[in-house]
Amino acid sequence: MLTIALPKGRLQKPSLDRLARAGVVADEEPGTSRKLIVSAGPSARFVVLKDADVPLYVERGAADLGVCGLDQVLESGADLLTPIDFGFGKCRLCLAAPRGSSVTAEMGRSLRVATKYPRLTSQWFVRRGVPVDLVHLAGSVELAAVSGLTDAIVDLVESGRTLEENGLVVVDELLAVSARLVVNRAAYRLKVEELLPLMEALG
Amino acid sequence: MQPATPLPGTQDLLFEGARRLRRCEAILCERFERAGYAEVIPPAIEAADVFGPEAFRALDRSGKLIALRADFTAQVARIAATRLAGMSPLRLYYRGSIVRRLAPDSGPVYERLQAGCELVGQGGPEADAELLALAASALHALGIKGRISLGSTGYFSALAAAAGASPRLADALNAAVDRKDLPTLRGLCEREVAPGRAREAILMLAQPPRPQTEARELLARAEALAPSEDALQALRGISAALAAARSLGAELEVDLGEVRGLGYYTGIVFNLYAMGSPRPVGGGGRYDTLLGRFGDPRPAVGFSLDLDALVPLAC
Repeated sequence: MLTIALPKGRLQKPSLDRLARAGVVADEEPGTSRKLIVSAGPSARFVVLKDADVPLYVERGAADLGVCGLDQVLESGADLLTPIDFGFGKCRLCLAAPRGSSVTAEMGRSLRVATKYPRLTSQWFVRRGVPVDLVHLAGSVELAAVSGLTDAIVDLVESGRTLEENGLVVVDELLAVSARLVVNRAAYRLKVEELLPLMEALG
Repeated sequence: MQPATPLPGTQDLLFEGARRLRRCEAILCERFERAGYAEVIPPAIEAADVFGPEAFRALDRSGKLIALRADFTAQVARIAATRLAGMSPLRLYYRGSIVRRLAPDSGPVYERLQAGCELVGQGGPEADAELLALAASALHALGIKGRISLGSTGYFSALAAAAGASPRLADALNAAVDRKDLPTLRGLCEREVAPGRAREAILMLAQPPRPQTEARELLARAEALAPSEDALQALRGISAALAAARSLGAELEVDLGEVRGLGYYTGIVFNLYAMGSPRPVGGGGRYDTLLGRFGDPRPAVGFSLDLDALVPLAC
């Protein structure tokens, strides 16, 4: 029996489609009922989670594998295998600042940066030797830079329209994001007979 | 009054928990003794340079850096290279707790219970096989069904050297191999490694593991691609250890992408997995240069078991 962590939200449908094509079909559409665990035939089941929780469930073995954006995989710091890039859920994690601001020119001074990704942001700035004052926000990150709470933001950019409408421009790209298959390290060895055919069908 | 609980990452073992741990330790000690290993009990604190940056360090009164035990193997190597210098072979085992930081020089501190064995002064596949078989029999003695996955840091190092990889690139390749991250590995190889046998061989490292029956075939394919004498030698080391361990009755799987281990491993590395534990329950490898750090260069191989993970699974 394989337990598959399925992210709610924009990754859910493409994840279900890909898994269905690989032969893992949910017995009922997840999200239509209040059920948190949905079986998928005799040999698999889905646990339906917020995407940021997928890495933890898989790392700790409550799920054997899962689908998760690379941003969440790396931000979580979870010790996971990431063997397949699904190619959907594409976006970029970017540093953005108000148009005309001097963020690029003044990378030498300490920056105030708002983000939902404190780990990835601080890693990126540490590699560049730039001291950074991180403000960890739960949402509406753009507002931080627009309102003057911070000099810049680090956030996901899909089309760039939200940035544009708020007078922000991309200064640099931290990470190219897409949905990944994540696999628990021990499950990869112990359930290899079940996992290998599924991975081949998914890959 | 302060509410007093153990620090996160540590625990009190009471009653049945304590009894279970001691019972498992007794089973393991008996198994190790029967295989000809003798117990050593190193101190809980050491000069900090015995350990890596994951050790929890502090200054003593004279300003010297000392550390809590972060790794038994380094301590056993120190003992073997100093008080037991020149005595070969040495078969030593230990049990006790280690204290580490989650990230080098920072991060929260945690404690873990371990038991393990070291065979000092013997190179070659027979010694590797002895430890592999002993690790397998230790799991068996605890009533735990596990799998041992055998790889080699020596092979990866030889490939990285043959590919002319800078230390930064070698680290990035190693991290991608360790995560089975074929897309990232492919990207790195295409951008930064010249086409050729070394590149092909590196890409092979992220392939899924093969069951025992296919190990020979996998090793033969890798040998055909081996870009250097060092790589070939590392592969022969794995083949020979595999054959010798099988003749001792140990079931192994070969995964050339098994590159995770302590920084001082130089040859085979292996990790132990058991149903019910989401992380490896033990691991080991060959470390032929560690004793040299303490002035008595001799080959050695060993393994440790994670008792915090194993005891709840043991019958």
